[in-house]
Amino acid sequence: MTTQIQVDSTPHFRALRERPFPPKRTTLRLARVVGWMGAFVLALMLVFAFFPDVAAPYDATERVALPLQKPSAENILGTNDLGQDLFSELIAGTRASLLTGLIVAVISVLVGTIVGLVSGYLGGWIDSVLMRLTDLILVLPFLPLVILISVYLGPSQRNIILVLAIFFWAGPARLIRARVLSTRTDTYIEAARALGANPLQIMAGHLWSSVRPLALVQVVLVASASILAESSLSFLGLGDPSGKSWGTMLYFARASGAFLSDAWKWWVLPTGLMITLTVLSLGLIGYSLEQRMVRST
Amino acid sequence: MTFLSRRALEFLLTFFLAISINFFLPRMVPGDPIKLIAGNAAPQLGKERLEALRAQYGLDKPLSEQYGIYLKQLARGDLGMSYRYSGGRTVVEVLGENFRWTLLLVGTSLILALVTGSALGIWSATRRGDAVDLGLLSGVYVLRSIPPFWLAMVLIPVFAIQLRYFPVGDSYSVPRPEGWENIKDVARHAFLPIVILTLAYLPTAFVVMRAAMFGIMESDFIRTARAKGVPNVSVVMKHGLSNALLPVLTSFMVDLGQMLGGVTVIEAVFNYRGIGNMMFEAVKSRDYPLLQGGFLLFTVTILALNIITELLYPYLDPRLRRGTA
Repeated sequence: MTTQIQVDSTPHFRALRERPFPPKRTTLRLARVVGWMGAFVLALMLVFAFFPDVAAPYDATERVALPLQKPSAENILGTNDLGQDLFSELIAGTRASLLTGLIVAVISVLVGTIVGLVSGYLGGWIDSVLMRLTDLILVLPFLPLVILISVYLGPSQRNIILVLAIFFWAGPARLIRARVLSTRTDTYIEAARALGANPLQIMAGHLWSSVRPLALVQVVLVASASILAESSLSFLGLGDPSGKSWGTMLYFARASGAFLSDAWKWWVLPTGLMITLTVLSLGLIGYSLEQRMVRST
Repeated sequence: MTFLSRRALEFLLTFFLAISINFFLPRMVPGDPIKLIAGNAAPQLGKERLEALRAQYGLDKPLSEQYGIYLKQLARGDLGMSYRYSGGRTVVEVLGENFRWTLLLVGTSLILALVTGSALGIWSATRRGDAVDLGLLSGVYVLRSIPPFWLAMVLIPVFAIQLRYFPVGDSYSVPRPEGWENIKDVARHAFLPIVILTLAYLPTAFVVMRAAMFGIMESDFIRTARAKGVPNVSVVMKHGLSNALLPVLTSFMVDLGQMLGGVTVIEAVFNYRGIGNMMFEAVKSRDYPLLQGGFLLFTVTILALNIITELLYPYLDPRLRRGTA
């Protein structure tokens, strides 16, 4: 709700956005190292997502032992309330969590980029309307509204993706618009306009190539935020109850009282660590990309 | 004055849009809203009962008329009846009962997070690029990646069940103790949720403060102050911080909508008597009026906090005083 105008007109914010002083060399080297660490973890998660059989000893939907067993040689993390192998479930859950995050990220950044380009370049009433809309979305209480919408739409993974995308385009739209505002008066844009390029060409060609690094960082950061949000929603029981995701695993862990007994050590703890690790890997990749972007501008 | 009235108009517009979402959402989703209201009982009710229900909720009237009725009821502070409490409790009653607990959690942890997060952010910004800065930054990155509700699910078995430092669930003990003991009891129940919420809000405050201070600490007036021989503490706290406060608060408020709702899940894990947990229970029983009321209350809270911050601006930034006074 607090307006863009204010943020833009504060000199400190301009300094913040443009960051005139490049980061130190050691910081950059560190950024590269953590970026690769993140990429490695993410690659591992992608392998789990698409080839769960590589790591999972059982089919996560099969009943393989007695329910609520402690870890043993056969089931290294024990079994859940249905007698399914928890370790296999953990691996199988990667797919839903990761895919939800990535799909939401791609959709929202795509929408956000289009809105940001149009709003920033065309200006006028289109800009006002679009920015009021983003302000509205940013001020609404995220989780309560998402809960409300999900209840009406019914629990499913597709609805979670839809609802998250409705919210997550606003942040990127704002950032991209700010970048467009600072580049739209650059000489090469004016030159293109003088040569007779139409707004679409300028937006899709010139401006897009200048906001592309920013959009890429946003995909990574929105993906990490979506994975966290998806886990919260599934944990509240708004995800597909038969689908395997880390959030639903925690939902069933809570439903069967696992965190009130010793079972939290092998049921709750590893599941949350998987979420943290995935979100962290995306965050590190985002940080690394951001640092590189700052240096190159 | 024009600035304030324009902002007031914007807040009113946002509020109006939020209540409209509340109205149109249940009517937009595919399917008969009365089936949603009746829930699983719909097939057993029979046609006549369903029609009677439809008339009771005014769903047989045209949409525009329904909207008018809805607005009128809202203006009277009538949010409808909760389905869950069959004894006939209004949504406003239930909300009023739960709101103070949410306010206790959110208020305390927002202040704690702003103070500690900002302090760490300033420390980090003054040590840019060295071990302190990178250490704090990586700590915050890890913290930001942890799902807060999961942290609660790990802290409860350790601190509440095994070590028995804190009670499990609820926001007070059931025969409520008297006087001072009561305050201690409430504090013990609120402790873990507040710790977790503070940790959840802290990264935003840290990141925002650190970035704002970076920009400021490299500006010319800071260099001048240093050249004059102003002591370091004074440079950071007086010259730097007083200029950072406004942008920090502005950016913090932008993220408020995303942050504040997080209390919902935390209350659900702790079974704490707040609006969030109430919404979680309402999801299970498909209590739509209660859900909508909860959403509306969150929206109003965020708008109110935004207005309060805007009123604080002139105190934080003298440049704004002339414009508004």
